[in-house]
Amino acid sequence: MTKIILAVLALVAAPLLGALITGVDRRITAWLQSRYGPPILQPIYDVLKLLGKEPMVTNTWQAVCAYVYIVGAALSVVLLFTGSDLLLIFFVLTVGAVFLVMGALASPSPYSQIGGQRELLQMLAYEPLLILVFAAIAMVTGSFKVSAVYELSRPLLYDLPLMYIVLGYALTIKLRKSPFDISASAHAHQELVRGVYTEYSGPFLAMIEIAHWYEVILVLGLCALFWSTSVVGMVVLVAVTYLAEIIVDNVTARLTWRFMLKSAVGMGLALTVVNMLWLYAQ
Amino acid sequence: MLDTLVFVTVLLPFLVAAVLLVLREQNLRKVILVATAGVLALASLAMLRGGAFIMSPAPLYDSLITLGDFVILFVVLFVGMKRKNQIIIWLTAAQIIALIWLDFFTLKEHGSVPAFFADDLSLVMVLVISIVGSLIAVYGIGYMKEHEEHLHLTKSKQPQFFFFIVLFLGAMNGLVLANNLLWMYFFWECTTLCSFMLIGHDGTEIARKNAERALWMNVLGGTAFLFGIILLQKIVGTLSLQDILARGPQFAVAGGAILVPMFLLVFAGMTKAAQAPFQSWLTGAMVAPTPVSALLHSSTMVKAGVYIIVRLAPVYAGTYFSNFVALFGAFVFLATACLAAGQSNGKKILAYSTISNLALIIACAGINTPAAITAAIMLILFHAISKALMFLCVGAIEQKIGSRDIEDMRGLFAVMPRTALVAIIGIMTMMLPPFGMLMAKWMAIESAQGQFLLMIMLALGSGVTVLFWCRWAGLMLGTPVAKGRPEAQDITVRAPLYILAGLAMVVSFFSPVVYNTLVAPVVAMYYKTVPYTLPYGNFDSKMGIFLVYPLFILLGLGLFFALRQARKVTAAQCSQPYMCGEQLTVDGKPGFLGPLNQYVPATAGNYYLAQFFGEEMLSRWINVIALAVLVIMLFGGAL
Repeated sequence: MTKIILAVLALVAAPLLGALITGVDRRITAWLQSRYGPPILQPIYDVLKLLGKEPMVTNTWQAVCAYVYIVGAALSVVLLFTGSDLLLIFFVLTVGAVFLVMGALASPSPYSQIGGQRELLQMLAYEPLLILVFAAIAMVTGSFKVSAVYELSRPLLYDLPLMYIVLGYALTIKLRKSPFDISASAHAHQELVRGVYTEYSGPFLAMIEIAHWYEVILVLGLCALFWSTSVVGMVVLVAVTYLAEIIVDNVTARLTWRFMLKSAVGMGLALTVVNMLWLYAQ
Repeated sequence: MLDTLVFVTVLLPFLVAAVLLVLREQNLRKVILVATAGVLALASLAMLRGGAFIMSPAPLYDSLITLGDFVILFVVLFVGMKRKNQIIIWLTAAQIIALIWLDFFTLKEHGSVPAFFADDLSLVMVLVISIVGSLIAVYGIGYMKEHEEHLHLTKSKQPQFFFFIVLFLGAMNGLVLANNLLWMYFFWECTTLCSFMLIGHDGTEIARKNAERALWMNVLGGTAFLFGIILLQKIVGTLSLQDILARGPQFAVAGGAILVPMFLLVFAGMTKAAQAPFQSWLTGAMVAPTPVSALLHSSTMVKAGVYIIVRLAPVYAGTYFSNFVALFGAFVFLATACLAAGQSNGKKILAYSTISNLALIIACAGINTPAAITAAIMLILFHAISKALMFLCVGAIEQKIGSRDIEDMRGLFAVMPRTALVAIIGIMTMMLPPFGMLMAKWMAIESAQGQFLLMIMLALGSGVTVLFWCRWAGLMLGTPVAKGRPEAQDITVRAPLYILAGLAMVVSFFSPVVYNTLVAPVVAMYYKTVPYTLPYGNFDSKMGIFLVYPLFILLGLGLFFALRQARKVTAAQCSQPYMCGEQLTVDGKPGFLGPLNQYVPATAGNYYLAQFFGEEMLSRWINVIALAVLVIMLFGGAL
C-alpha cells in the first residue's frame, strides 16, 4: 500500500517539484547574470501554454518518441521512490533517453540530427559513470536495491565521497548543463538551435519539458541517497549540489565532446578506483 | 519415442541434407525444407516436454562416428594441402595421429559411454537450433533465389548450399546432445567443415580467403578440443560428460591437473565463438550469403563455443582459472563493443555485437555463480532470437536497397516500412527493458558485483552498446513524412521475420516461465542454490529486483498511448524541418537555399569516433591483450 502511495506521489509531485526547481534555477541564473529573471512558476506557465498549441511535427515518429520519453522518465522516478533496483532504474531511464535520440534522428533537419548524435555521445559519457556509482553503492550496501540504502546506519557519503563527485559529473552531463550542454542547452543562453529539441514544438515540446522535470527529480533523488540517514541531511546535500551545478553552469563555457568523453571516462575511472581502494582498505 | 526424437533432431537433418544435395527441383526443395523445419521445431518441443534423458544408440553408430571423424579430418587435410596452408596441414595431421592413438590404442571400453544425454541446458540449445535455425533455413529459400538472380549463375549452387545448412542443424543438435566427448568431437568438426563450406559458398576470391581463415582458426580450436579430451581421459578416466560434470565439485576443490584439459576445451570454445584474437574469422564470414551469417551468429557455430564453456563451468567453478575466464570475457565484451561502435557496415556491427555478447556469456560462465549462469543461459536464448532477426532484416534490406551500410538505411521506413519496423523491434529487444536480453545483462552486471575490474568493463561495454544500437534504430526512422507503402516480399522471407520478431517479444514476456522451467533446474543441478525467487513473476534476489510484468504493462501502455497519439497527427500538421530560415525543398527532400539560390541538400552522418573506435588501430591492441590474458589463463590457472 505504501508503495502505491509513493508511486502516485512520484507521478504527481515529482514533475511539480521539478518545475519549481527549474524555476528557482532560472531565477538564480538570472541573478548571477544581473538580470531580474522570470517568476518561479514560469516553467509551468510555459508548459501550459505549449500544451494548448496545435501539434506540429516533421515526422509522426517524433510524437511517439516524445511520449515514450516521458513514460520512461516518469517510470524511473516511480521506481526510485518505491525503492526498486538501481540498475533497473537506470535501464528504464535509458529507454527514455534512447527514444529522445530516435525522435531527434527521425527528423531530416541537420540541427536535430547533430543534436541526436551529440546526445548519444553524452549518453556514452554519463552511462558508464552512473553504472559505476551504482556498483559502488552496491559494494557498500551489498545490494542494488534502493531500499537497502535506507537500511544503512551512516550516510553513503562517508564511504563514497569520490563517487559522489563522479555522480555530480555524470549529472552535469545528463542534465545538459554547461560545460556539457553539448546536445542541447537547458537554457537558451548558448544554443540558438536546440539540438535534440530542434524539431519539437507545442504539446510535444511540453511533454519533453515535463520529462525533463522528472529527470531533475530522479537525478536529485540519486544525490539524496548519499545522505539517506536524515531528511535534513538529504535536503541540504541536494540543495548544495544543485546550487553548485547552477554556478558551474553559469561560469563555464561549453567544452567539446572529445574533452567530455575523455575526461568523463578518465576521471570517472580514476576516482572510482581510488574510492574502491579506500573502501577495501577500511 | 525418445529414440525417434533423437533420430529426428540429429540424424534426420543428415538424411534430408543428402536428399537436398541431389535434388535439383526447386519447388520440391522448398516443400522439403519447410517440412523439415516444421518437423525439427516440433521434435525439439516434444523433446523439451520429455525432459532429461540418457541414450545409447547401437554400437554400430560408434564405429560410424569414428569413421566420420577420419573422413572429416582427411577432407580438411585435403583442403589444407590444396590451399597450401601449413597451419591446417600440420594441425590436422596432429589430430589424425592423436585420434588414431586415442581410438585404437587407449580406449578399452569403447561403447560403454552413453552417446547422448540431455538436461535442460541441452534442451534449450536444441530449441534454439531447431526453431531459430529452421526459420533461417526457410528464409534461405527466398533469399537464395534472389541472391542467385543477382549473381547470374548458369547452374544453381543451391543444392550444395542447403545441403550444408541442413547438415549444420543436425550437427549442432548432435553436439549439444552428445554425452560421449568423442561424439561431441565429431559434431564439433562437422560444424567447422560446414561453416568453411558455407563461408566460401559464393566462390569469390575473398570468400575463399575468408573461408580458409575460418578453417585454420577452427582447426586450431578442434586440435585443442581433441587434446583436451585426451588429457581429460587420462586424468579422469572417462569420456562421459555426465560423469565429469557429476564429479565437478570435487575437481573444483582439487584444482590443478584438471584445469589443463579445461583450458584446452574452453580455448576451443573461444575459437569457435570467435573471441579475440580470433574474431577475424567471424567478421570475415560476412562475405557469405546472409542466411549463413544469421545461422553462424545466432543458432549454430558460435553458440557451440559458448555452450561448451557454460557446460563445463561447474567443473572449474571456484578456481583462479574461472576468474581469468571472467576477466577475458569482460575484456572482449568491452573491446568488441567499441569495435562495433566504430562501424557503419550493418553486418559488421552485427558481427562485432555478436562477439561482444558471446564474450558476455563467457564472462558469466567465468563469474560462475548461480545468477551468472542463469544470465549466461538467458543470453544464449535471447541473443539467438534477436540476432537471427537482425541478420535476416539486414539481408532483406540489402537485397532491396543494394547496400548493407547503415548510412544508406537513412529513412528506410519510407522504402520498407515493414522490414524497418521489424528491425527496430529487433534492436529494441537487444538493448532495452523489459526484454530478455537486457534482463540477462542486468543479471550479468549484478552478479559481477564485488569484482570491480569486471564491473568497470561491463559498465563501459554496455554504455557503448546503447550507442551503436540507438543510432541505427533512429536513422531508419528519418523520413520527411512517415507514410511508406508496404513493400513486397517473398513469404519465405517475411514469415521468418515476423515469427522471430514475435518470438523475441513473447519469449521475453514469458521470461519468468522460461527461467522456472528451463534455467533454474540446470542451475540447481550444479550449484545447489537457485539465484532468484519470482514473486508476481518479478526476478528477486538479495542483490536486486527486476520487475518483468510491471515494466511490460507500463511501458507497453505507454507505447500504445504514444502510437495512438501519433496516429492523430494529420497530414496538415506535418511541417518541414527547421533549416535556419533557408529552407528549400526539392522532390520532397529538404535542403538549404544556398548561394545564387542554388539548392543544397541537407545531409547528415553518424559519428563513428574513428579516433577512439577505429578498427585498424584497436584490433591490434585488443589481440595483443586478449592473447596475453589467454597465456596468463593457461599458466595462472594451472598454478
